[in-house]
Amino acid sequence: MKEAEQSASSAPQPFESMAEDVYSIETVVQITQTPRHQIAVYCRHGVISPVTAPERDGWWFDDEAIRMLRRIEWLRVEHGMTLAGLRVISELSREVERLREEVRALRRS
Amino acid sequence: MPVEFKDYYATLGVTRDATDDDIKKAFRKLARQYHPDVAKDKKTAEAKFKEINEANEVLSDPAKRKRYDELGAHWQEDGRTPSPPGWEGRGAQAANDGPAREFHFTGTGFSDFFEQFFGGGSRFGFESAGRDYSTEFRAEGRRGADVEGEILVTLAEVMHGTMRAISLQAFDPRTGKAETHSFQVRIPSGAMEGRRIRVPGKGEPSVGGAPAGDLYLRVRYAAHPDFRARGADLYHDVDLAPWEAVLGTTVVAPSFEGPIKVRIPPATNHGAQLRVRGHGLPRGRGGERGNLYVVANIQVPPRLTEKERTLWEELSRTSRFNPREPS
Repeated sequence: MKEAEQSASSAPQPFESMAEDVYSIETVVQITQTPRHQIAVYCRHGVISPVTAPERDGWWFDDEAIRMLRRIEWLRVEHGMTLAGLRVISELSREVERLREEVRALRRS
Repeated sequence: MPVEFKDYYATLGVTRDATDDDIKKAFRKLARQYHPDVAKDKKTAEAKFKEINEANEVLSDPAKRKRYDELGAHWQEDGRTPSPPGWEGRGAQAANDGPAREFHFTGTGFSDFFEQFFGGGSRFGFESAGRDYSTEFRAEGRRGADVEGEILVTLAEVMHGTMRAISLQAFDPRTGKAETHSFQVRIPSGAMEGRRIRVPGKGEPSVGGAPAGDLYLRVRYAAHPDFRARGADLYHDVDLAPWEAVLGTTVVAPSFEGPIKVRIPPATNHGAQLRVRGHGLPRGRGGERGNLYVVANIQVPPRLTEKERTLWEELSRTSRFNPREPS
């Protein structure tokens, strides 16, 4: 097997993640390269959610929404998944996450 | 990449057929002994503590433990192991063209061995070159995949927040090239267990000028000898003698502010949770804290003197209390 050629490590750059980063919809469009209308469709169908009620505070999204958005876009583009399918996936993912964390916590006690 | 096998049973000092309870007890005892907050020799304690946590992560989870036992049974000298069907290790096979890029974390608090076979991490996103992509993406190049890993943090780090030095090495077995990115990640005070911290652009590099994928680091709390965490709340088990639970007493419980006095009221049942407000983990941004719950764990005396036995027998004759009587 070939020896791995190590490229020089970059010097540690401080990266600070604030306690609760939120992003405007414009930023989300840029980060995820997803069109605005597509994001709106997802929100309308509960596939992703903004952090607050949009009519009150506007459209703000957190890191989880970005993560989810990337995954579902990948499913839509790569696997041609329909919106109905994406809704199911999104709900199941959340439920599985929640259950996993609960099991972990229960095991600890 | 060849990696050193970790003997988790030896780390916890249990046999291979240890029950879940054996493992829990062994772990608690060792976690207390080696916890950096209480240990005398902090340097060696820290390394040992991480090992113990890791061993517990794997052995206390039935699915992981099963995997680990299978892995151990097939482990070969060069660190490679024939993968059972359906196995997904970190360097999983890409769809159709041989081994995919491997990721290797350091600084997360877990060993190489754990990272490779049990890290909660995964790659999610577009596979390596060789697949057919829709024209929509071919033009712009492909965004790199998101990479997810876990980072072990102590409760003290969660209390005050911390900066951790992480490095992520992406090794491409086809080209033999490795690229290392080092960075500091801030774990904010009050970061919840299971929370993902997003590090933009530190995931898999892209192809064709598109943005790199993101790195997500999942926060995992290391065990603490005194507390269990659930959300922003902390739980501390306190052992009580039967008469203490019946008559009430005062105990001293640990907290991050130092020892605190807790009143155990009369008629405290086993498992009762006594809330101490505001002594949990930080929650939100406004300086709020979760609560500390002191959990009553009634213990019975294992042996009795003659005099004690007489007293208990008299009590059993005198008392009208019958817990099994339908009320």
